[in-house]
Amino acid sequence: MEPEAEQFSSLSNPLATVDQLSTSSSQLDGVPADLESSLRFAGAQLTQAAGILLRLPQEIIAQAIVIFHRFYLGSEGGSFRINALKDVSAASLYMTAKISFLPQSTRSVLNVYAYLLSPTSPLRQPLEGTAGKEKPDAESYCLSEGSYQAARATLLQTESIILRAISFITQVTLPHHVALTYLQTLGVLPPSPTEKSSALAARTLAHLNTALFSPQLLYLTHQPPALAVAAIYLAAREVEVKLPSTEWWEVFDVDRETLGFLVVGLGSCEGWIQSEKEKWTETSCPLTLDELEEDVKRRG
Amino acid sequence: MASTPSRFGGQTLNGNPAASKRTAGQASLEVGPDGKKPRFHGCSKISNYIMMSKLGEGTFGEVHKAESRVTGQIVAMKKILMHNEKDGFPITAIREIKLLKMLSHPNILKLEEMAIERTKGEGRKKAIMYMVTPYMDHDLSGLLENPSVHFTEPQIKCYMIQLLEGVAYLHASKILHRDMKAANLLINNHGILQIADFGLARPYDDPPPQGGKGGGEATRDYTTLVVTRWYRPPELLLTLRKYTSAIDMWGVGCVFGEMFKGRPILQGSTDLNQIHLIFDLMGSPNEENMPGWSTLLGCEGVKSFPQRKSTLSQTFREQGPSFVSLLGELLKLDWRKRVNAIDALEHPYFKSSPLPAKPGEIPQFQESHELDRKKFREQKANLPPAPAGGTVGMGPDGDFINGASNSNHHGQYRPRGGLGGYLNDQQPYPPRHNGYEFRQHGPQREFRGPPPPPGPPPSQSRRPAWPPEANGLPPRPPPPINPVWGGQVHRGSVPRDEIRGRPPPREGGVAGGPRVDTYIPSYANRDDGHRDRDDGRRGREDGQRRDERGDRGRQGERREQEHRDPGRRRSRSPERDRNRELYRR
Repeated sequence: MEPEAEQFSSLSNPLATVDQLSTSSSQLDGVPADLESSLRFAGAQLTQAAGILLRLPQEIIAQAIVIFHRFYLGSEGGSFRINALKDVSAASLYMTAKISFLPQSTRSVLNVYAYLLSPTSPLRQPLEGTAGKEKPDAESYCLSEGSYQAARATLLQTESIILRAISFITQVTLPHHVALTYLQTLGVLPPSPTEKSSALAARTLAHLNTALFSPQLLYLTHQPPALAVAAIYLAAREVEVKLPSTEWWEVFDVDRETLGFLVVGLGSCEGWIQSEKEKWTETSCPLTLDELEEDVKRRG
Repeated sequence: MASTPSRFGGQTLNGNPAASKRTAGQASLEVGPDGKKPRFHGCSKISNYIMMSKLGEGTFGEVHKAESRVTGQIVAMKKILMHNEKDGFPITAIREIKLLKMLSHPNILKLEEMAIERTKGEGRKKAIMYMVTPYMDHDLSGLLENPSVHFTEPQIKCYMIQLLEGVAYLHASKILHRDMKAANLLINNHGILQIADFGLARPYDDPPPQGGKGGGEATRDYTTLVVTRWYRPPELLLTLRKYTSAIDMWGVGCVFGEMFKGRPILQGSTDLNQIHLIFDLMGSPNEENMPGWSTLLGCEGVKSFPQRKSTLSQTFREQGPSFVSLLGELLKLDWRKRVNAIDALEHPYFKSSPLPAKPGEIPQFQESHELDRKKFREQKANLPPAPAGGTVGMGPDGDFINGASNSNHHGQYRPRGGLGGYLNDQQPYPPRHNGYEFRQHGPQREFRGPPPPPGPPPSQSRRPAWPPEANGLPPRPPPPINPVWGGQVHRGSVPRDEIRGRPPPREGGVAGGPRVDTYIPSYANRDDGHRDRDDGRRGREDGQRRDERGDRGRQGERREQEHRDPGRRRSRSPERDRNRELYRR
């Protein structure tokens, strides 16, 4: 009755392999790597926006974004040219909410996506500045019964496709709660919060949330403890909180190299997001299959 | 493959001992267990398996025995049917898969992987998905019904230890099973017992039980619409929402008694009847043996019960004081003091003579599945007709049912050689269940028992193995009504109360906030036609159980009864029906 060498996974996630990171279905289908990164970013952003509109907690939204990334991973994963990112985003969010304790009806989810995908939605506008922004036009995102039924069928079908592609691994462990525990362990999160400790915690969580948008797919390459340590390291430097001068990350089983890589990865997110903003000022990032086809065609 | 993605890091949950035991062969976090295999990719294809035989079928889907082309392992494959599902992929299936992928213990049924059958013209047609688990020869319920199988005390102790180990692991991993019963315990011919069916399981948000401290206290509300009635603890029947892992321990106690008696020990026909049976056995509740019971909502509004003394030691007098002591601990009315799995394993019962058998010493029993049964039918035809008025449906020893209370059962251990013959003998009474598809059967599974003997008119000669009234399995609880997710009523409610005559759950739950546990949306648009069909089916399934005892002559009569009384015959897990509804559409 010796236990088999199987592991309990509530503190870790399945990670992507090198092969899966070096090639993808989308690239095999002729999506250039830079466009693929943009699509991943747009998908994560769309999911985040929809989650906020559905008033879902960040925990569920973050899990949905990770599942979205898992889906498009590797040559056996999904392809942006076959499964539109808007559908995968919606189905990821719908499914993640369904297995959580805040399930959303298909109608709520589809209404929100209809709004976000409408030509005048904030997501379709330049990301910054109010100049030239149109007011959302209610008619453009009204979901008729017919389109609702069609969208619902797509949603449920996409859900199945996602489950298959991710091998039913719906478990996503997030680094957020790990990070808070580590902050307490480091003694920088006193029971009665100070201004500084609150800022540190907030900045740590902000880094973790930003990492969901990283083109390096940090959530698929590193375990939660490593992400947590890197976020704490970076946040402490920014907020100027003194951490132990020893190599404290070793205590959390994170080595210096991993930490260094992740700190750079997290730190580069801001620049990456800025460049995405600039990249998509003229047109919005292609969210539907048709838009993507056009974009790919235009690039030749 | 799925073996691959499920091998994650070496961390254990909460550093609990049960989980940490198994971290010996720690896999690196960055590479797969074999150093190169990807640990994260899609499901395997159905072509990786050679289908061998059908084990059963039902609304839930077919279950096949199959052999893996990759590993040669014999597996059971449960099909998840994707009908025109209103809410997409069945949520219970996703949750069960999610939990099973996180668990790893020799006494928990392992989900090997998911296999996909790609249908032609992909796109329109949905793929068929299978859950692949190791093949187990029996389930405990089926094995107990098998007249040719006699459990010895060392064998029962062996099963109990494994059951408790599994439950201890689940609870230490902060998971409530919530559907503990004999039918969900699978047993193979190596004497290994595994807990299956996590369709009702959920994470437990309160501290796991600690040695010497019973089940502890819960701080949040959970739904009470869980656990098959015969295995449902008194606090659930009295509508305690802040229940603990102790609810699973009650089920373990019921199974423990069942292994000796050969049948479920508390077969209530309604919830109210169930609680009466419990108080008959364990004594009526008072502030001493069940503190706080009177503050609970009561069972179907009933809050007072006649004074009774415990009849436990009387009922199980032949099993000895040590047995009664352990059973009494497991069936304690006070859920706070009810023994937890850690402590139960330390009970003197397991250290007294006769000592527990080792799994390898337990005799093998002949497996039996739906389609195998045809074979048995032919064999049976050559047997002499059953004696009139005799104990037809029992084994050659005739003491299958009564054997449990037979003192010669005590400590009786058949050495392996003595039973070897079972495998070659033409066994007329094979075990009935294979432990995979039990609840999901449709009417096709009706004829599971041995065929009727040719010969004398069966109506009188065939008796149920125990009084017929005890045979009516109870209806399942209603599907969750007005599920509350985070305080909002998610979907329409269905007035199904008439089925159980139970007051509808309070909308919004007791807490009315996000702490209320729910598990499943209800399904508003079911029409009555569906329900009738469902009930008829349920009735027949239930009849199946009776058939298994050779009670074929009563079939016509039974059918009629079902017609009149469709809802009262099946011990069904709370959610199953809902699934059935889902899967049918």
